[in-house]
Amino acid sequence: MEILLRQFQTKSFLSICKCLEPAYSHATSWTSGNAMLGKTLFHTSNTVAMPYNPPKGPRKWPIYNKKIFAPQLPGEERRPAYVCHMRTNIKYSPFKMWYVASMIRGMSVDEAIKQLSFVNKQGAVHVKEVLLEAQKLAVEKHNVEFKSNLWVAESFATKGLVMKGIRRHAKGRVGLVHYFHCHYFVRLEEGSPPAHFFFETAPKTTKTLLSEWVDEMRQRRIPGSL
Amino acid sequence: MSSLSQFTCFRTLLASSLKTAYQRNMPTMNAGIQVRERHTKHWAPAFKKLRRLKVQKVKLPNFREEDTISELTPDQIRSRMKEQGILPPRSWMERPITISATGAVFEPYIPPEGDGKLSSLTLGGAKQSMEFLSKKSKSMLAVRKIRSFEDNFSPSTFAEEAQDIYIKAHKALVEKDYDTLHQCVTELCFPLMTEDLKMCTTRWQFLKSLEPPRVVHARCTDIINKENIFSQVTVRFHTQQTLAVYDRFGRLIYGSEVVAKDVVEYVVFEKHLANSYGLWRIHEKIIPDWMPAREPGRKTYVQQKPVVESEPVADTAVPATPTEQSAAVA
Repeated sequence: MEILLRQFQTKSFLSICKCLEPAYSHATSWTSGNAMLGKTLFHTSNTVAMPYNPPKGPRKWPIYNKKIFAPQLPGEERRPAYVCHMRTNIKYSPFKMWYVASMIRGMSVDEAIKQLSFVNKQGAVHVKEVLLEAQKLAVEKHNVEFKSNLWVAESFATKGLVMKGIRRHAKGRVGLVHYFHCHYFVRLEEGSPPAHFFFETAPKTTKTLLSEWVDEMRQRRIPGSL
Repeated sequence: MSSLSQFTCFRTLLASSLKTAYQRNMPTMNAGIQVRERHTKHWAPAFKKLRRLKVQKVKLPNFREEDTISELTPDQIRSRMKEQGILPPRSWMERPITISATGAVFEPYIPPEGDGKLSSLTLGGAKQSMEFLSKKSKSMLAVRKIRSFEDNFSPSTFAEEAQDIYIKAHKALVEKDYDTLHQCVTELCFPLMTEDLKMCTTRWQFLKSLEPPRVVHARCTDIINKENIFSQVTVRFHTQQTLAVYDRFGRLIYGSEVVAKDVVEYVVFEKHLANSYGLWRIHEKIIPDWMPAREPGRKTYVQQKPVVESEPVADTAVPATPTEQSAAVA
């Protein structure tokens, strides 16, 4: 049965400005709000009261969070959980953010947060907030049991919006001023951090050292020989 | 010790005489405290204004606006929208609405305590299974009302149909076939069934029915108009099922694929009788208090502390000097 109803807007501007809420919460709000109709559920058409703002900025990183893996076989090793999180258009240069992002690679989440609290960079504030948000998401939505049992698997920053302004120099010369923004991405993985995250700084085993020495020895040539 | 102190005093005295007046007056150099000094002050502060005018100010967009929107008052939001030239939304919304399901179970069935615990071969069990629908007058009235819309409705045939709908609904849920699931399940039930399993893989098997399904309760209600009737029929199932739920990463979080469980359920089916295209769909499940607790999850949680709103402490002037009373207390 279709009914045309005039529903007076009891919601405030605040709720209008918020992004679209999921369907089930709409249903429950209608059941509680409108006394006239009692306990009913509305199957409404989807209309948008505000002008459409197309999404801007990177959108692919959170899609990794939607991937569902096939159930594991009983004998298989337990797959570690991961969560991908990002913050877009941070008012900070990506060249400066690189230092902060690369500092925390391979650290456990607790250690990364501790270190970021004492790094003298504006970017560190943003990175710390993103890490805390990601930790919370991991526990609430991605079935991670212990919030400390996470480590930073991937951490990087990319260029965001760049706005250009002008400034004057001496003798009527003009200079460009770049106002940089950056996007920061992080992937937290469940488990303890690996002993050596960077291959280059990991100590070489005796086996590799020996094989490298043997290769060096074998590369020797006598100059001018046949 | 005393001799050492003599030496240290001598050293500091000597050092202080050698220090410049500037060094002697700087607390950072004397006291050994950690202080951050400012190194960004221009050497010619008189030209600050002119230096500032060299750079053309650019208004940068505020990307962190969404975080602060919840703290703004409606007037502030209105002024911001005016700045951006966004028209306000309509103060009313006229939309066509379709009410295809009710929001709750009306006069829910109260299952008898200990149902399903006794075998129907025992005396007690037999008595339980003998609660006839025909002895419940209100339910029979409802059945008669349903018959006025659906001629060949009978509780015995409906029970079997209900089981088919139940199996179809659960199969659709496992396969995430939401089109079929909407046909088998009402709008109230759909989010309750799907929301938690969106990021999970489910494996469900219906092994067999231990007792034939039985209609135990029926009610009819009308929404808004007297003619717009919805009927709700409660069916009791006693079945054997297996359920295994895996999380996003394929790790088992609930149940088992091999362990079969006996399930006693009271499922409420609803149909919009006034709608000629209405279907019997699962609406709700009645879970009585005496039902045994479900298998606990395989995860530990941090218990959320209840938010206690602290009472505002009255501002009292703290005595700067110890009074007689405070001294006595101390």
